[in-house]
Amino acid sequence: MSEQLPAPDFDAQNYARPNQNWICGHACEGNACRQGPDANGRCRATAECKPALQIQPGETKGRWICTRSGGACVSGPLPDGSCCRPIAKCSPVPTLRIWRGRVTLAVVAASCAGLLILLGSPPWRNRFISPGEISRAHSGEAFAALFATNHFKENCQACHVAGNSGPHGIMQAALHAEPGMLDLKKLVQARAAEPTAIDEACLKCHAGRNFHQPNAPPISCSFCHAEHQGRVMAATTDANCIFCHGDAAKLANAKAESGKRKAETSQIPLIHHFAEDHPQFRFVTQKWRDPDTLKFNHALHLTGATMPKLPGGEKLDCAFCHQPDVTGALMKPVAFEKNCRVCHSLQFDPGTPQLTLPHGSAEFVTAFLRSLPKQYLNLAMKENAADANGFAVEKIANLRTLFGSGEELEQRVFFSTATAGPAAQIGTVSGSTRAFFPGCAYCHEVKSGAGDLPRITRPVQAERWLAPAKFTHAKHANIACAQCHDAVHSKDTADVILPAKETCAACHNPRAGVADSCATCHSFHPPQTAAR
Amino acid sequence: MAAAPTILERPQRWDAAFDADMTDADVERLLATAPFSAMDAEKFPKRTPLREILRNDTRILKFRKGEIIVRQGDYGTSAFLILNGASRIVLKPDLAPSLLGRQAPGKKGIFRTLAQLWNGSRPPETFSRSQLQQAAGLGARQTQKDVRVFLQDLPRILSEHRTDTMTAGDLFGEIGALSRMPRAATIFADTDDAELLEIRWQGLRDLMKYSDALRTHVNKIYRERALASYLRATPMFQHLTKEQLDRVAEQVEFATYGDYDWSGEYKRLAQAGTVRPEKEPVIVQEGDYPNGIVLLRAGFARLSQKFGGGERTLNYIGAGHHYGLREIAHNWRHKDAPVNFKFSLRAIGYTHLLIVPTRVMEEIVLPSLPKSDLPPPLEIVKDDLDSPPHAEKGVRENVGVEVLEFLTENRFFNGTASMVIDLDRCTRCDDCVRACASTHDNNPRFLRHGPTTGSLMVANACMHCADPVCMIGCPTGAIHRESFAGQVVINPDTCIGCKACFNNCPYDAIRMVEIRDKNGEFMVDQEMKPITKATKCDLCVESYGGPSCERACPHGALTRLNLNNLDALSKWLKL
Amino acid sequence: MKRFRRQLLLGVFALIAATFAALWAHRRFHHALPDYAFLTGWVLFVAMFVLTFFNARKKLPFLPLGKAETWLQIHIYLGFFTVVLFLIHLNFRLPPGWFEITLAWLFALVSASGVVGLFFSRTLPRRLATRGGEAIFEKIPALRHALKTAAENLALGADAQSPFIAEFYTRRLAPFFVGPKNLWLHFFESRRPLNALIAELDDLRRFANDAEREKIEKLAALVRQKDGLDYHRSLQLALKLWLFVHIPLTYGLIIFTLLHIVLVFGFSGGAR
Repeated sequence: MSEQLPAPDFDAQNYARPNQNWICGHACEGNACRQGPDANGRCRATAECKPALQIQPGETKGRWICTRSGGACVSGPLPDGSCCRPIAKCSPVPTLRIWRGRVTLAVVAASCAGLLILLGSPPWRNRFISPGEISRAHSGEAFAALFATNHFKENCQACHVAGNSGPHGIMQAALHAEPGMLDLKKLVQARAAEPTAIDEACLKCHAGRNFHQPNAPPISCSFCHAEHQGRVMAATTDANCIFCHGDAAKLANAKAESGKRKAETSQIPLIHHFAEDHPQFRFVTQKWRDPDTLKFNHALHLTGATMPKLPGGEKLDCAFCHQPDVTGALMKPVAFEKNCRVCHSLQFDPGTPQLTLPHGSAEFVTAFLRSLPKQYLNLAMKENAADANGFAVEKIANLRTLFGSGEELEQRVFFSTATAGPAAQIGTVSGSTRAFFPGCAYCHEVKSGAGDLPRITRPVQAERWLAPAKFTHAKHANIACAQCHDAVHSKDTADVILPAKETCAACHNPRAGVADSCATCHSFHPPQTAAR
Repeated sequence: MAAAPTILERPQRWDAAFDADMTDADVERLLATAPFSAMDAEKFPKRTPLREILRNDTRILKFRKGEIIVRQGDYGTSAFLILNGASRIVLKPDLAPSLLGRQAPGKKGIFRTLAQLWNGSRPPETFSRSQLQQAAGLGARQTQKDVRVFLQDLPRILSEHRTDTMTAGDLFGEIGALSRMPRAATIFADTDDAELLEIRWQGLRDLMKYSDALRTHVNKIYRERALASYLRATPMFQHLTKEQLDRVAEQVEFATYGDYDWSGEYKRLAQAGTVRPEKEPVIVQEGDYPNGIVLLRAGFARLSQKFGGGERTLNYIGAGHHYGLREIAHNWRHKDAPVNFKFSLRAIGYTHLLIVPTRVMEEIVLPSLPKSDLPPPLEIVKDDLDSPPHAEKGVRENVGVEVLEFLTENRFFNGTASMVIDLDRCTRCDDCVRACASTHDNNPRFLRHGPTTGSLMVANACMHCADPVCMIGCPTGAIHRESFAGQVVINPDTCIGCKACFNNCPYDAIRMVEIRDKNGEFMVDQEMKPITKATKCDLCVESYGGPSCERACPHGALTRLNLNNLDALSKWLKL
Repeated sequence: MKRFRRQLLLGVFALIAATFAALWAHRRFHHALPDYAFLTGWVLFVAMFVLTFFNARKKLPFLPLGKAETWLQIHIYLGFFTVVLFLIHLNFRLPPGWFEITLAWLFALVSASGVVGLFFSRTLPRRLATRGGEAIFEKIPALRHALKTAAENLALGADAQSPFIAEFYTRRLAPFFVGPKNLWLHFFESRRPLNALIAELDDLRRFANDAEREKIEKLAALVRQKDGLDYHRSLQLALKLWLFVHIPLTYGLIIFTLLHIVLVFGFSGGAR
């Protein structure tokens, strides 16, 4: 038994016409009319034939004859010449394609209507087209008050020129966008993110834009600080930096543009990741030397075999001299009275270790030395000596025996070192002093100055060596000093005992999991112009 | 609402004369010229008198020396009689196509192509009155003879090609015109005053019917000329000398099977559901002694083999193929163990064939063939079923037996551009029909429906048959072959709606449509009867890019295939 | 059909290659170009524009614009690739704004309907061909009417004097023949309704004489034909209906896309 369909009975006179939009309403009963609906879906059927008027020669009225294509009908045309078999009018049926067209039209109409409603009313429009929530700083009552040009909260105009200007204004703004809508050449160009119209708005509050390096071309705020990303403005990322610093072409462009401004640009290396292609620190590559004139031997102080114990009996360690400042970021400068005097007590009279020289000024020292008898007297009184005068005279006499004259003593105090100078040494190691005092020049650079006053070069301590980078010791508290600072091998003050890049990168890399973003160490905006 | 109907005169045969400029003097002159002077005007019926045939179905053309009259390979529907001067026929080798000035037939201009964009909403089958009249006067598509192509370097052609001269009184082109075969040779005018009478085939047919002398004459030269050039073109005979070829030609027998008007009979049988291979005339019987090799000259034949109680079709072969060489070659090589015909060969429809007797083959043809051209010995072929003759490698795997039977039963092998639809891919989106309609002024020219087998459908679209039976009986020549690629097209301007082609077509590819005016009202004649025109696929002959149905199918489900042999189908199925 | 298999392999390979290329380009450029979002937006727009060209090709079948088959292949693979471009343009995140959410959903729906359509176009024809019989969709009502008339004549006609057949017809068959039935069941290839009807018809044989048996056979044949017709209607409808989502929403998408372009340029002023 056949499950096949019956062969459709196709009309020899006609084709199946799926290209026609309307199907005769009688087609579903299998007897579509010959005429068919017209293009607008109106039934065109009239009658089965159009009778012809036959006028025999000699006749005046003529006779209507049936012209039906299937053969003349029995009853023939009506007297008025119309067919006797009219075809019942049908309501043509639209094809599926017509329905599809209607659905399409409906969707288009709905889209247009919806968009018109939503875009027609500004408050709705702004809420509808906003590509995301604005950060807390740039929204809310306070911000709206700043730009109180409108009564609603979403104050697009504060940043967007076309903000509240209606469809025409938006269209105009789009056509005048920079880079232009179809400025494809610019779109594919590896160029810096130039400031835009929106940046003007930023400057209203964030005045005095002083971006980055003076030789870098100006960069749009919004390039790094993306708005409409939620209540909290997203942090900048390495990508923002690498955008220029990882792109040779852009750096070259910047160089070309600022060529006259500064030649340094050419030295800016390409950087993508700290561990990989961040350059070695400059103090390493350029073999920086500490210019400080103070002579200090870290190695000796930390490992010297003859190093005495501290008064408490502890061994001298880094922390004795290097103490963090209040922020914990940096170390307080090493101070003589606090850190050195414990050992270096500056006693000059081996017989009187209690009496020590003042520190900090050649003039004080000179004055002190020239008033020695008085100093001895003071000491005697302090110690309740029975014969103060006698004590002083005796001490002065001792000094004379040791140094000859007062001038000689002054010379020695200032200029002696352990090995050279007027005398090999002036103090001793015994007694309450732990470090002997050969003379100021043992540690300091002492020059004979104008007049009789020697000039002692003031030691300078660099607050920080790597100025462009943020660094805080506090965050590195769990690391031993020696991990980074190779002090035990440094015998020379000129040594810059900082870790090389590799030491940092050992931890600061994605694999070790310690932050290695640019912003970890660097700040984009120079500190003085950081956001208000 | 009821607009006044457009009234036209019902078109009649000879409404559009072959050449409207034929004068009475011309006709008188022709009547005084041989062979018409020898014809008995009394023998012609009243409806088609000799004088009117000459007036309406002929025209006088003048050619200058070197101008091409007929081109080899063209499908032409007319014969030529030399009235004055001389013409030359190119025998061998063939002229290069570039020399013949082959060019694409008229395409739609840019404007007409683009105009189809906004013609979409027109009522179906719309014609404008002026369109019909104007086109009838021009007859542009049918008579492109106004464009004359001449041979540039005549002396060189004469030196490089063997040619023959024909003079006044000679008739040529009648074979192509009558047998619906392409022109066998190129003929060009040899003198500046060459004057020729072009007789369209309807006229020639009538002339032959009522003039015994002409009929005898045509039959004679048909045998002489057609045979010589045909044998020459057959690869099997290419190693023969001229003398040998002449001897072969002398011995060749002719045979015609079936009916020249086979399609009517076939249609009747098909409708009755009684098409059986057993009823087809047998050309060669399986098991008979091979007494000659059969060369198909025109039409198709079915190769079949006994299978169970009936016969099953293994392949069909068309014009240009032959059967029997393998058996005869075997017998020639192994005289001790002769074999008989392995298959039966039956004529399907109209078949015209030549038989070269075995003796001639053994004495002349086979010895001339190099070893490589001989068919493989029969012993090596293990299973004949797997390699029926004339099947390319792989055809058997790709085209199943059911498909073969299907194609044969429905006579689809006739098509050179049949519309085959892969129903496994076809999403029934009708894009093909819509594309067709867009290309034809908002009218589809085929029906996306037709006989199916498995997942193959052969749609009711004109197949542009190798043997276009629809062209038989067209009184005006409105249905004709485009001279370039041989597409069968209907000139709507000259079609009188007589349904001859519609009735002939066994494939339901032609539809009679009632034409309408721009308001969508039917055009009628004075008797208020609608005017109909035969319409069908024209393979988008006027458009750029080929048949738009095929190009419009997004799923690659529809193709136009040459089913004359199975190669194209096999390739498409395999793809 | 091997052609399609090779084509599929080639296409899928090209698609995967293009996807990787796009993702590589995304990695390489999305931090290197200041207006990267604009750039990917334009690329996406061009891709969508090319996709709509498939429809234009369909509307201009007479111009030598290449085969629709080629265009569909381009449409399919470019369509998939456009989804990749879309994700890249969105930076793999759903945008937070209402307008852009609408736009993204439109895109998603158009893409999804396209995928569904592709699935239908590749699977349903095979099912139709396997079931056999062909019916031009617009002709189905006429065919159904013819079947109904034939069945009616058999069961209720002047020479049909079998009350139980007539009763069965009016009770069970008339509702079946009157309109399209079992749309969803056919779509899911269920033969349950047909089998139920045929079984009930078989049950009728017990009461039938020879002539009536023959009549029941004929009715069963008509029921099968009607079922086949419903099957064709169901699947052909599915082959057409997916476009009711794909095409109208495409127009909506075009409107929103154009507006989106105006808005982003109008409000950016070159900002990102």
